[in-house]
Amino acid sequence: MSTTVLLPAAVAFAGMLLPLPWLVVAPNRLLPGTSISALATLGALLPVVALLTLAALPRRVPAPAAACSALAAAVLLAGLTGQAAAQALQGLAAAARAGVGFGFWAALVGSLGLCAARGASLGALGRLLLLLTVAASFALLLASGALHSLSLLVEYRVRAEAVQAAILQHLVLSGAALMAALLLAVPLAWAAFRQPRLAAPIGAVFATVQVVPALALFALLIPLLAALLASFPALRELGLAAIGPAPAVMATAAYLALPLFRSLLGGLASADPDAVAAARAIGMTEARLTAEIRVPLAMPVFAGGLRVAVVQSIGLMTLGGLVGAGGLGALVFEGLAQFATDLMLLGALPIVALALAADTAIGAAEQRA
Amino acid sequence: MIAFENVHVRFGTAEALSGITMMIEAGELCALVGPSGSGKTTLLRLVNRLVAPSRGRVFVRGEDVARLDPAKLRQSIGYAMQSVGLFPHRTVAENIATVPRLRGWNAPRIAARTAELMALLHLDRSLAGRLPRALSGGQAQRVGLARALAADPDILLMDEPFGAVDPITRRELRTELRRIHQATGKTIVLVTHDPDEALELGTQLVVLRGGRVVAAGPAASLIAPGADAFARQLLGGTQPGLRRFALLPAAASVVPEAPPQGAPELPAEASLADALSLMAESGATVLACAGGSLHAEAVLRQA
Ligand SMILES: Nc1ncnc2c1ncn2[C@@H]1O[C@H](COP(=O)(O)OP(=O)(O)O)[C@@H](O)[C@H]1O
Ligand SMILES: [Mg+2]
Repeated sequence: MSTTVLLPAAVAFAGMLLPLPWLVVAPNRLLPGTSISALATLGALLPVVALLTLAALPRRVPAPAAACSALAAAVLLAGLTGQAAAQALQGLAAAARAGVGFGFWAALVGSLGLCAARGASLGALGRLLLLLTVAASFALLLASGALHSLSLLVEYRVRAEAVQAAILQHLVLSGAALMAALLLAVPLAWAAFRQPRLAAPIGAVFATVQVVPALALFALLIPLLAALLASFPALRELGLAAIGPAPAVMATAAYLALPLFRSLLGGLASADPDAVAAARAIGMTEARLTAEIRVPLAMPVFAGGLRVAVVQSIGLMTLGGLVGAGGLGALVFEGLAQFATDLMLLGALPIVALALAADTAIGAAEQRA
Repeated sequence: MIAFENVHVRFGTAEALSGITMMIEAGELCALVGPSGSGKTTLLRLVNRLVAPSRGRVFVRGEDVARLDPAKLRQSIGYAMQSVGLFPHRTVAENIATVPRLRGWNAPRIAARTAELMALLHLDRSLAGRLPRALSGGQAQRVGLARALAADPDILLMDEPFGAVDPITRRELRTELRRIHQATGKTIVLVTHDPDEALELGTQLVVLRGGRVVAAGPAASLIAPGADAFARQLLGGTQPGLRRFALLPAAASVVPEAPPQGAPELPAEASLADALSLMAESGATVLACAGGSLHAEAVLRQA
């Protein structure tokens, strides 16, 4: 059995069987609460969940059945925990909260990871079907109201509009950073391709940025922009400000420049020299040669860099919450500041989901091309 | 058709070609032979302006190439090379259609021409949609040649086009090239370092050495006793006499008299080398050929 299957299974069983907090019931959203174990929460159905997880392990079990079994375990444990939360809150004050603990997360992530690991051996269509099944199962679970009482959902109901706005804003900010990085990296990659002695210094500058801790770069841009605005007040009229989206987009773009630059330069250089020589010899102009031969041949390598950059952009933009740019990072840091785990998760979970979705989408597009 | 006028080419401080003056007439298949590094490729690439002379002028169809638009000039001249350089992301049909597309032909005309070329080069129709990586070496060479011929250029430049294929495929491709040359009457300039290939295909040979033309002319004249020693050595090897006889037709030495009874029969299109071989085999000194007689003395008089 491979580690890609064993590792998530081990995480799932650790969550279910170790004495970790599964459900935490607290008098309100800020005070610490009392932990309830997995056995106390799931009761007699814990062995069922465990068996469903176990059934996904043997190689003899066909991959679709194994993946569905692991998915069933995840759905069942989430649903049961939701029900248990509703019961635990009965008779308590309205401010009381029932949140999920570390054990629950380990079991959920582990069983879903197991589902993904077994599903990975399916064909492209099978994987898509599995993905849709997972999404539909959890959508149904949410719609059924079974999870209604969990503090994360309570928190979401209170902040639904803010969360949705933050997701949109996060996407816009990440997209802007990606655009800015492309505007920077594409011309420089072309220049380095035509003028190879430029490649090393440009690459070195971008690599240096990677060494600066992201937090420091975001913070550093604020005084830099402030100084810039003080010297050129006209820029203020263009909408530039020392805090807000500008430093977040600029700092994120600075990190994205390296993977974009490297992959584009590598792709351009990877074009078969014989094909380029032949194209020139049969009368393609340099412009056509670039458009018809070099760029298409560079695309597979460039797509790899683009994928890294998109995921990094969504992840790094979280720090935008620290410099007043808003986005999901703002929720994360607000949650951190208040020690409100649920609020933090409301920011963090969509970030993870967006990054995974973007990575999957670009990967799929890459395979089709 | 193609003329070089005192052409010099310099790469840095090294002179790759020095004082080349020569003409290639329309319809010739001109083979450029010489050792590696002698300047064959450079001479070929002067024709479509892939290399510019540092001195002198190159004329194609009567026009100084330095005055022509390089892209237009190159589109009007076919080019095929040893490494082929098919575009890996384009199908066989798309590769072949490159120059017609650059020249703005309409789709039906391109499709018709592609089909015609695939037939000419004995490429199966089922290959049209394949990508180059799914072709054998010989097929790739054929596609490269089809791409070079696509826009029906009157001049075809070939740089060791059969160098990278196995001997059997090479022989097939040579036969094909000769057939195409005879059928289309195109002016072909063929670079090769293989003397046999030059002798077999070239209607004119140009022997290069150290960036200079040491000998030029029809194959047989370059192996004749009085010819340049280097060219004679390169093309004739250890049996220049026989090599030369292989290039001369036997029919020219036939006298119109009835051959003796039982004289061995030599085919009318045979060479003098074939005649000598038949004599060596049969012991006869007189052969029957094209209704007349061929005497051993007459054969040797050609030496
Ligand atoms: N682009 C170039 N830059 C520098 N030197 C070159 C270049 N092309 C050819 N040469 C030199 O010119 C000479 C002739 O080369 P080439 O025409 O390729 O010879 P051949 O085709 O007969 O082997 C060689 O010495 C080669 O090293
Ligand atoms: Mg060469």
